[in-house]
Amino acid sequence: MTPLIIVDDLTKEFLHAVKKPGLTGSVRHLLRPEYEKKTAVDRISFSIDPGESVAYVGPNGAGKSTTIKMLTGILVPTGGKILVNGVIPYKQRIENAKNIGAVFGQRTQLWWDLPVRESLSLLKAIYEIPEREYKRNLELFTDILNLGEFLHLPARKISLGQRMRADLAASLLHNPKVLYLDEPTIGLDVSVKARIRQFIKQVNQESGTTILLTTHDMEDIEDICKRLLIIDQGRVIFDGELQAVKDAFAQERTIHFEVRAPLHLAEDALHNQFPGAALHIQNEGSHCSIQFNRFHLAAGEIIEFMMKRSDVVDIHIDEPSIELVIRQIYESNLNNQRIIV
Amino acid sequence: MNAFRKYIVLGKVSLQNAMAYRSTFLISLLAGFVLVMSQFYIWKAIYSKHNEIGGYSWDEMKAYLLIMFITNSLLSWYSEMAISQKILDGSVAMDLLKPLDFQKARLAETMGASIFESILGAALASIIIIIFEGIASPPDLLTWLLFLVSLLASALIKFGIIYIAGLFCFWTSNPYGVAWVRAAITNLLSGAIVPLTLFPRWLESVTAYLPFRGVVFVPASIFLNRINGQAAVQEIAIQLLWALFLWLAGRMIWSRAVRQITIYGG
Repeated sequence: MTPLIIVDDLTKEFLHAVKKPGLTGSVRHLLRPEYEKKTAVDRISFSIDPGESVAYVGPNGAGKSTTIKMLTGILVPTGGKILVNGVIPYKQRIENAKNIGAVFGQRTQLWWDLPVRESLSLLKAIYEIPEREYKRNLELFTDILNLGEFLHLPARKISLGQRMRADLAASLLHNPKVLYLDEPTIGLDVSVKARIRQFIKQVNQESGTTILLTTHDMEDIEDICKRLLIIDQGRVIFDGELQAVKDAFAQERTIHFEVRAPLHLAEDALHNQFPGAALHIQNEGSHCSIQFNRFHLAAGEIIEFMMKRSDVVDIHIDEPSIELVIRQIYESNLNNQRIIV
Repeated sequence: MNAFRKYIVLGKVSLQNAMAYRSTFLISLLAGFVLVMSQFYIWKAIYSKHNEIGGYSWDEMKAYLLIMFITNSLLSWYSEMAISQKILDGSVAMDLLKPLDFQKARLAETMGASIFESILGAALASIIIIIFEGIASPPDLLTWLLFLVSLLASALIKFGIIYIAGLFCFWTSNPYGVAWVRAAITNLLSGAIVPLTLFPRWLESVTAYLPFRGVVFVPASIFLNRINGQAAVQEIAIQLLWALFLWLAGRMIWSRAVRQITIYGG
């Protein structure tokens, strides 16, 4: 399979004015302006196959949005290559625009003063969408995203959650091959988030639309994406399956037990049988938790061990959140080297 | 055909928007209306001592002021600001996401809005005609026709100018400054303040090599039948050539400007 998106050694530098403080600094800048180069994206390379769903994450200012803007053809790279569906986005911007959809959480592509329905029909003309395809998509999206209640209102009058739903529909009307999502769930309430995630997943799975998602919401990633691309300071520091990351960085498991009678369990007894496991007893023995590495010990055996020794009322198992995992990756990225798992 | 249709639709939407924001347009046209009225009374005072100034009779001068008002009403401040604003607030990014040519899209929107502006302008112009009384008008249908073509060419030239001025917002963040400078230069050199024939000879000959005279002076002179027949056709051809030149210059500046984009936020 040939990749849909190829990014090779992509670099983007911005010039920033350097101004010394105070009036003298301003005067000096006026006479002889100085600029410094800041590298927002630093020789990154990756490729994405058709139908993939990729999370593109990194701390603020890592270069995520800059990459997306280059992929969409808005920004011109300083160096390197990009190819999206065989098209160089910044050179053949209009050709590229026909193949892609994009949703930016911070901006809308709807016309502020037009009723949403008219914005969508204007997009139909702009993307030259055939009548039948337009009707089918509009009906489908209206149904899933529940657009019906505000289609007649202008974009400036609808809520953020409604606007995001409308923007999603707007970005997919022309059945793009790739959908770029830049923080699509920012500032939304839980139910709207859930609906949007469900919709994106459906688009990815049923229409085979390739998804590239940037977000700070870890649930977005877990819910939608199979692959994780992490960048920091303009460099790719991790690229791999989401599951592989979890296996590498989320080996800890904690089983919580609630028991009927106060538990009298010596830590030694546990250690003898399960080396490396840690025991915490709380609430005067009515609640205890055992922490262990899931690649060394089996949860079933630990549970069996506990069942024999006490009257267990309730059990649940915790795994580290993806948030914690990614924080570990950011923090372990001290010398900005690629992490291999 | 389909590729062209989307720009027509954009123009239509822009016209709809203009109607929705009619008070915004009305206010900016009223400013022009007050200006032309003040000029009317200044010239009236001057003409009370003279029969003719720079070859213009009082009736002709009134007609000149009327045409000045009409050409200034087309493509108002609003359209000019719309282009600058897109660049400054970063919504240009959203335009770049769409399979649209930025310049053609802006032309379509500007022309859409100008249809509404010309209707409002015509309404106000008829008030001027009633107040002014005895305005000179074209002698025959052909002159009217030439005038209308010249007026359309004037709108195209003006679009070329405001588009290029708007693009300067990629390098500066002061849209009002850009618009003021643009308006001052256009008004002076297009004949929107006084007919160009009243300028010192050297300045008048400079304007002959600039696009601005096609905005007010040429359509007004055709209306007054001061430029007629073959000369009028020639002037219109020059107007159209300027419009084309500005269009191509706009394209060139855009392709440079677009490399300049940083787009704030995110």
